[in-house]
Formats: sequence, C-alpha cells, structure tokens
Amino acid sequence: MSDPTLDKLPGGFKGMSTDMGSDQTAFKGVNWGKAMMWIFLLSDTFIFSCFLISYMKVRASVVDPWPYPSEVFALEFMGAPVPLLLIAIMTFVLITSSGTMALAVKYGYEKNKKMCGMFVLLTAIGGLTFVGMQAFEWSKLIFHEGVRPWTNPFGAEQFGAFFFMITGFHGTHVSIGVIFLFIFARKVFKGDFDTGKRGFFTTMKSDYVAIEILGLYWHFVDLVWVFIFAFFYLW
Amino acid sequence: MYTGLTFLGVIIGSVLFHIWSPWWWTDVASNWGSMDETIILTFWIAGGVFVLVCLFLVYCIFKFPYKEGREVEYKPEDNKLEKRLTWITAIGVVALLAPGLFVWNDYIKVPNNAIHIEVVAWQWSWKYRLPGEDGKLGTSSVKNIKDDNPFGINPDDPNGKDDILIDDSELHLLTNKPVKILLRSLDVLHNFYVPQFRAKMDAVPGVVTYYWFEPKKEGEYEVLCAEYCGVGHYAMRAAVIVEDEENYKKWLAKHETFSSFLARKDNNLHKTRMVKINNLSKDKKSILKIEN
Amino acid sequence: MLDDLDIKKKNSQPKTKSSSASGGGTDIDYVKPAEVPDQDLYHGHSFITKWIFCQDAKVIGVQYTLTAVLTGVIGLILSWMMRMQLGFPELFPFFTADSYYQFVTMHGMIMVVYLLTALFLGGFGNYLIPLMVGARDMVFPYVNMVSFWMFFLAVMVLMASFFVPGGPTGAGWTLYPPQAILEGTPGSSYGILLMIISLALFVIGFTMGGLNYVITILQARTRGMTLMRMPLTIWGIFTATVLALLAFPALFVGAIMMTLDKLLATSFFMPTILKAGEVLAYDGGSPLLFQHLFWFFGHPEVYIVALPAFGIVSDLISVHARKNIFGYRMMVWAIVGIGALSFFVWAHHMYVSGMSPWFGFFFATTTLIIAVPTAIKVYNWILTLWRGNIKMTVTMLFCLGFIVTFVNGGITGLFLGNVAVDVPLSDTYFVIAHFHMVMGIAPIMVIFGAIYHWFPLVTGRFLDEKLGKLHFWITFLGAYSIYFPMHYLGFIGVPRRYFEMYDSPYITSAVGMNEFISIAAFIVGAAQFIFFYNVIKSLRLGKLAGKNPWKANSLEWYTPNVPPVHGNWGDKLPVVHRWPYDYNVPGAKEDYISQTTPPSEVREAEVEKT
Repeated sequence: MSDPTLDKLPGGFKGMSTDMGSDQTAFKGVNWGKAMMWIFLLSDTFIFSCFLISYMKVRASVVDPWPYPSEVFALEFMGAPVPLLLIAIMTFVLITSSGTMALAVKYGYEKNKKMCGMFVLLTAIGGLTFVGMQAFEWSKLIFHEGVRPWTNPFGAEQFGAFFFMITGFHGTHVSIGVIFLFIFARKVFKGDFDTGKRGFFTTMKSDYVAIEILGLYWHFVDLVWVFIFAFFYLW
Repeated sequence: MYTGLTFLGVIIGSVLFHIWSPWWWTDVASNWGSMDETIILTFWIAGGVFVLVCLFLVYCIFKFPYKEGREVEYKPEDNKLEKRLTWITAIGVVALLAPGLFVWNDYIKVPNNAIHIEVVAWQWSWKYRLPGEDGKLGTSSVKNIKDDNPFGINPDDPNGKDDILIDDSELHLLTNKPVKILLRSLDVLHNFYVPQFRAKMDAVPGVVTYYWFEPKKEGEYEVLCAEYCGVGHYAMRAAVIVEDEENYKKWLAKHETFSSFLARKDNNLHKTRMVKINNLSKDKKSILKIEN
Repeated sequence: MLDDLDIKKKNSQPKTKSSSASGGGTDIDYVKPAEVPDQDLYHGHSFITKWIFCQDAKVIGVQYTLTAVLTGVIGLILSWMMRMQLGFPELFPFFTADSYYQFVTMHGMIMVVYLLTALFLGGFGNYLIPLMVGARDMVFPYVNMVSFWMFFLAVMVLMASFFVPGGPTGAGWTLYPPQAILEGTPGSSYGILLMIISLALFVIGFTMGGLNYVITILQARTRGMTLMRMPLTIWGIFTATVLALLAFPALFVGAIMMTLDKLLATSFFMPTILKAGEVLAYDGGSPLLFQHLFWFFGHPEVYIVALPAFGIVSDLISVHARKNIFGYRMMVWAIVGIGALSFFVWAHHMYVSGMSPWFGFFFATTTLIIAVPTAIKVYNWILTLWRGNIKMTVTMLFCLGFIVTFVNGGITGLFLGNVAVDVPLSDTYFVIAHFHMVMGIAPIMVIFGAIYHWFPLVTGRFLDEKLGKLHFWITFLGAYSIYFPMHYLGFIGVPRRYFEMYDSPYITSAVGMNEFISIAAFIVGAAQFIFFYNVIKSLRLGKLAGKNPWKANSLEWYTPNVPPVHGNWGDKLPVVHRWPYDYNVPGAKEDYISQTTPPSEVREAEVEKT
C-alpha cells in the first residue's frame, strides 16, 4: 500500500490542513468503501453511546436496587461460583478474533490467498463462538433464572430490559459480521479478490481492500463489546 | 417597483399589526411581570433587527434592479465589516440573554415563605392538597391510591395526617402570598398553566416538579393544561380563585384533612358494620347477646 | 447482469499544460493530475434498471423528489382538515378529538421528516452533488439506489398506519411517552408501532444515502475542486448530512426503547401509572429520558432542514443578483459552526419539562450563541444584494420571501430560546407560529425558488414565469398572513394541541383570528395547484431553455448534454480553476466566469484568488 506520491505529501497537522485544502480528495489514498465504513462506524458509535448513556441515566435514577452483575453473571465451576467467568471467556474470544482479523488483512494485502482465507475463517469461527456463548448466557438467564425484559428476581426491572436490548443489538452486529466473514472467506478461497470478480448485488469489482473494510467493522464490534463489558458487567 | 412596494407593505403591515393588535397578552396577575419586561426588551432589539434587515432588503430592491451593463461591486469579503457585525450581534444577544437569565434565576429560587401546594394531575382533571397545620405535605405514591386513599398519601407518614384534601378542580389562593406549586402526575405528562400568572411547569409522572409565583390580583382565572396528554387534553380545565384572607378561610373550611377523611371512612365502615350487625341481631338477638 | 456493464474510458491524461486554443499552454492553468482512475459505472439497459432500480443519482434524486412531494401533499391535506376544525368547528362535526390529534401527528411527522428532510437531502442532494463537485455519480450507486427504496418502504409503512385498527398514532409528532403508548391517545396500539417502524426504515435508508453524499463530497471531487471552491449548496447539504448521521441514532434508540415499552412491557420511559383506577405493571422509568433522546435528534433535525436551505438560497441569490455571495468563507464557517453548535442546544425544547432547572442557564446560553452565526448569514445575504444587479425572476422573488420569513422566524426563536421568556410562551401558539415560519415557510420558499431555477437543467424547459409570479405572491403573502398573526394567539395564552380552540371569558376571543387563518390557509393551499399545473404543462410546452439559461458559474450547467445523461460529463471530466461566484468581475468581458474557465482566458479580469 505504499504510494510514492502519497509519501511526498507533508505529514502531521500541516499535512492535515494541506489535504483538507487540496482538490479532489480530503483523505489522500483512502478507498471510497473504507471512508464510508469509517463514517458508518461513527454513526454506529452514536447508537451504542445512546444505549449506554440511557442505561447509566436509568440506573442512576431508579428507586429499586440494581442487581450485582458479578452475582448475576457468575458460573458454577467445581462447586464454587466464579463471577463473570463466561464473559471473561467471551471477551478473550472476541479480542483474539480481532487479532486474527488483523492478520487476515495483512495476508490479504500480501495476496497470500491461503493464509488470508484461513484467518478470515478463524475470525468467523471466533465470532460464531462468541454469539453461541451469548446465546447460552441468554438462555440461562431466561429459562433458569427467570430474567425477563419486564421483570427479574434480582432487583430493578430495567436491568433485564437493558441487558437484553444492549447485548441483543451487539449480538446482532456480531452475527452480521460473522455472515460477511463466511461469505468473504469463501470469496478469498475462490480467488475472487485476486481476479477482481464483480459482486453479485453491487456489480463492483472485488479487491482485498474489502477485507480491510470488514476488518474495520470487526474491530468496532470488538471495541463496543469492551465498553459494554466495562459499563454493564464491571460497574 | 411593485415588488419593492409590496415587501415594504409587508414590513409596515407587520409593525402596524403589532401596535394595533387586539390580541395581546393578558394583564399579568402575578409577580412575573419581569417576564413581560424581558419580552418587551426582546421586541425592541430583535424586532428592530427584523425591521432594519427587511428595510435594507427593500432598499436594495429599489436601488439595484437589473440593468444591462450596471456597475456591480465585486467584493468577495470584507473582514472588517464582518467582524463589526459579529460584535454588534453578540452584544445584542448578550443584552437579551443577561436579563433573561436573571429572571430565570429568580424563577428557580423559591422564597422561603412560600406555601407549598400540591397539584395533582391526571387524565383529565386536577385536584389539590395543602400541607395543613404542620406546613409539610406527607409523602405519597401512586401505588397507595385506593378508594379510601384517593391521593395516595403514605398512611405511615405523620406529616400527611393534617394535609387538606381538595378533591375538586377549583383551587383558591391568598393574594400576595407566594406559593410553591408541587406538581404530581398520576399517569402522563400534564402542565398547570394560568396565562395571567405566566408561570408553568410540566407535571411528570414518577417525579415531583415545581415552580413558584405570587398572586397579585384578586379574581377568577382559568387553568389550561399545557402539555399534550391524550384526547382530553383540550378539556382538562380548572379554576384558580385569588382572594383575601376572609374568603379564603371560608373556602378552606369546606375541605377536610386526610385524618378526618380517614375517620369518616372508618366511621362509615363502622356504621355499615353496625347496620349489618343490627340487622343480624334483629333476627338473632338472643344468640348474639348485643346491647342496644 | 454482468453483460450490461460498460466501462468508461479512463480519463488518465494529467493536464500539465493548458489546452486552451489561445496562445498554447501556460503554467497559470496548471491543475493537479487525477488522483484516482475514472469511476466505473453500472449502466442499466432494461426499463427496470433504467427507471426503477436505477443507480443514476439523478434518477434517484427525481424519485426522492416525487415521493417526498406526494407525501407532502398528504401532509398539506391533513393541515386543511386541522384548519377546518379550528376555524369552523360547527361546520365539521365529523372531526372528533381522536381524528384531530391523528391529523396533527401525521401532518407534523410527514412535513418535517418525509417531506423536508427527504427532499433536501435525497432530492436535491442526489441530483446536485455529483454534478456540482464534478463527479460522474455517487461513490456507491448501488447502495444509493437501495436507500431510495428504503425511503419508499418507510413511506408505505407510514401510510399503512392510516388503515390499521385504531388508526394512525395521535401522540403528537414528538411521540412523548407515557401517553404515546397508553390508551387515551389515539393509535396507541398499532398506529404508534407502524410509525416507529417507518422511522427506523427511514433512518436506515438515510444512513445509506448519507454515507454516499458525505464521501462523494469528500473523496470524489474533480480536478481543481477544493472544498472552498464548492458552491454553498454543497456545503449546506454536506453539513446537514453529517448532522443526520450523528443525530438519527438518538431517535433510533428512543424509538427502539419505546417499542420495547409497548410490546414487552419494559419500563424504560414508563413510571408508575394509574389508569382507570388500576396501577399498571410499569415502574421506575423516566419520561424525561425519551425527551432528551428525542431532542438530541430533534434539534439537529431542524438544522438538517435549514442548512441545505441556507446553502441553496445563497447560490440562488448570487446567480440572480449577478453578484458573488458576500463573505463566502464566513458563510462556510457559519454553516459548519451552526451544525456543530446544534448538538449543544437540544434542551431548549425542555425548559418546562421538569428537568433540572440548572440546565436552563446552559442551554439558553448556547441557544443564543447559535444566533450569532445565523445572523451573520442573514447579513451576508442582504449584503450580496447590495450593489448587485438584481433580476426579479421568480427564483429571486422566492429568495426575498425566504429572507423576510426566515428573519421573522429566527427572531421569534430568540424569544423562545431565552429561558425565562419561554416559560409563558412554551406550548402555546407562539411556538407553532415560530416553527412554521422558520421551518415551514422559509425552506419551502427556497424549495420553490430552487425548482424554478433548476427545472431548465432537469427538463430542458423553463417553468412559466407569469404563473410562477402568481404562485409566489399568493404563497408568500398568504403564508405570512397565516403565521405572523398566529404569534399573538400565543401571547394571549392559547395552548397548542387543543382540539377545540380555547375560548375563555377572561381573555380576548381568538375566534375571529382562527377563522381568518383558516381561510388564508385554504387560499394558499389552493394556490399550490397553480404550481402543479405549471410543472405538468411546462414538461411538454415550456419554453426551451438551452444550455445554462441563467448564465450561472457552477458545474452543473456545463454538462455536454442538457438534461445531463448518465455519467454526467461524457468523455472528459471537468477541470475547475476558480470558485463559483465570479460574477461581474471587473475587466471581464461577460458578467460571469464559469468554474471551468482557465485563467489564461480571462487574463484581463481582476479575479479573486480562490
């Protein structure tokens, strides 16, 4: 990705203002799809921020006591309750999948079909594992603990409502990412990104930059999870 | 030419409408005349800007109509002028904002001697509660509302026992005595608004909101709900009567406290029980051995 | 599908010398070479791919415009029904309070979101952005096409709410809980759900479109087109789109939470409620949370409507007064500044909501600060007219109408923004008069002015000038007579959202005023038929306009074909040498110099270096 003309441009703040003042593009050398993904992620950040800020507001103002997440989300291991065990594993899986995604992007730009495809697949499997564990968490709370969006035995009823809504939205984002990851893994192995085969719906030429764009989305999903983990489970 | 004249007519017409309008605010009947004064200041400053800007526009229409070969000024910017205009606008804005913020400061700081009056709103009427002898309102909750506790007063709170219940939509107030209105809603958002008092605040279910004012003029005023609350919103009216001490005491005497309300209910219950027992004992007097 | 593809010839010759006919090449005409290869567009060949699922942004723009305008006509009809009830209640006994509140709600939501936002961003944005920045199309035409059909679906779902049991929601366009989902408000069972679903679809569609607009403007400009050489129309639409991308999430989140409150009996917004003698299952929620979320969206939303109008009117005034827009750089900074500040003023809609009173100080201050860049824009518009050469075309008339109504509406905003003044005036007809003047009349003036201006580009024909002037005068004078006096209803204390106009023994009667306003509204409504007739007639019989009939400078008038075809520019993309406001430059031969005119052709003119 090293472009000789790009390297000649000034860097730092001066570079930023020169770029903004220049003609044609404000972000030099940035693929359109990548730029669109950044802006989309900015918008999506506002969505999750609204969810989390609303959660903090309601938690601060409800009269009923708020349940202790470390107790609600504990798992039994060898007879003793281990607080937050499941989400610790989930967080590890998701962060690792971000790592495999970054490797996939690297191999993609090196045009190493086999390694790129393998790491995309690994990321997809990591994501799928995460969703599976989230589903397990949900079923445990719903079927065994009686947690509902409208009530729960642990404390304020908004606890369940926020839990399902926020993790549901996040899980949906992860699932959409997993679907795209499997589709892209197939495209990589088939060699579509090498040949520049045109997409079925969009009829645009395939390029390895698409892996990087999907990678951006995947890292975003991971980052949102870190915030959810911090605000909902740890606080 | 006619274009310029018509636009000029619109400006002059607006000013004349403002001066001659029969639709003008009600005479202020509370202490919040300062809000009216801020509005008048805003009319002068902001209204002045409107008139000046539009007159300038009309002038341009008259002075610069299209003429082939007219000499047109090519001046992409004039930083000095822009800076000056910015400063003038900023000063104008501060001149509007500062007095307004002082009035707002007064609005949120309730005087110490204000009488607390609870206004309860529900779809689609009003009722009221006064703190009684101890000057304190008892705590309450929507969950406590039952037939024998229509205001939902906490039965364990001693402050609530002497609260005066006004279970109709007519509220009386003393002239020249500030009141702090504590708003409660039993269902959705409402707003207790009397145009002549100027003050208002939404009643929000789940919390108690407040505002204060001091009635200055005796008279009868209409209350309007000023926050959309469903199909009955427009019909959710009430009355506020501002009167002197003597008439106020007369009105107050007609309403009972919470404890006498409870006692009356108890007594009724007791009476009903007695009637039941008497009826029973008519048949089975000998068995029940009841003394008359 | 793949055989339909037609890859455009690559425009890969970097221009290092001017190729103008006179005098060979000189360095003063140098423009940097192209940074990216020419865009590769999908050309439809069947009727469906050329007109229905078309990826050409111009077709999509027309689709948005037609859908938004038709939806707006429904909103207009709803307003007539409201005025019938308010002006002459005895004549229309079949209007019940239920149906009145449904009209109020649907009218508000349709006009703000489905007409104004869709028309400015989806209609004007799609048509004008690629043309004005010199691109062949949007950066992702497929997603752009999908975005229109999402909007169309959103409109269908909204219209469907008229036909479900209980009818459409009557909760007011602000949809406040708890009343929006409780009995006692019309449409609280199905109507509110369809409204929310429709809004969610709208947000998703507009995110897709918005990404296109933003990235096309940032990354797909032609050679020589710097950000500060873009017409203000683009700046306005660009900033509005950024606002939309950041503000709609709050609405989306509020809508999701309200849906869960309705469907799953959660208590995000629902506190303990007593209804018909029974305490409902809700507990602990906060109605104010919804208001914060809604207005965090709602305030930027009104700037999403206003900023494109500001940008467009600047260009219209400039062309028709044959003068550069005064203070272009300040205008750009004002647009960006207003956009940024708009995120910090939302709670001025909540001064009497019961929120912490200390917020009143903060939001009153930020609200009045935002008045400063807005005032600068007004000064710059009238300074553009000063010493100009004003052609009194229909477009210019609408621009003048805009200035008068916008200043009026903006001024009344100062009343409401000042927190203590808002206390007596909030929730009265003063507020209704304010927002109709500033959001209804002023932007509509710009829309009409813009249509009369760009109709020759889109169709190749002029709209009839005489009918246009008649349309303007009735609309402007009529609408002003509706909303200017309405402020005084607010002063006397008439609250808003009253089914029966409030008539009190203590206050001057409003009956006569209401009758007058209703009649004026019917006249203005009828006058719009003049406009529609004009459009339909002129499509076939309008005077042929030829190329660049208004002698404007911006790129959209310099396509090889008029109306422009798919790909816009033919074989060669335009090269830009200047800003679009070189009108009446001293020393120049003509009273306009197009953006594509190289400096070597206008050596004698004293142009500003842009």
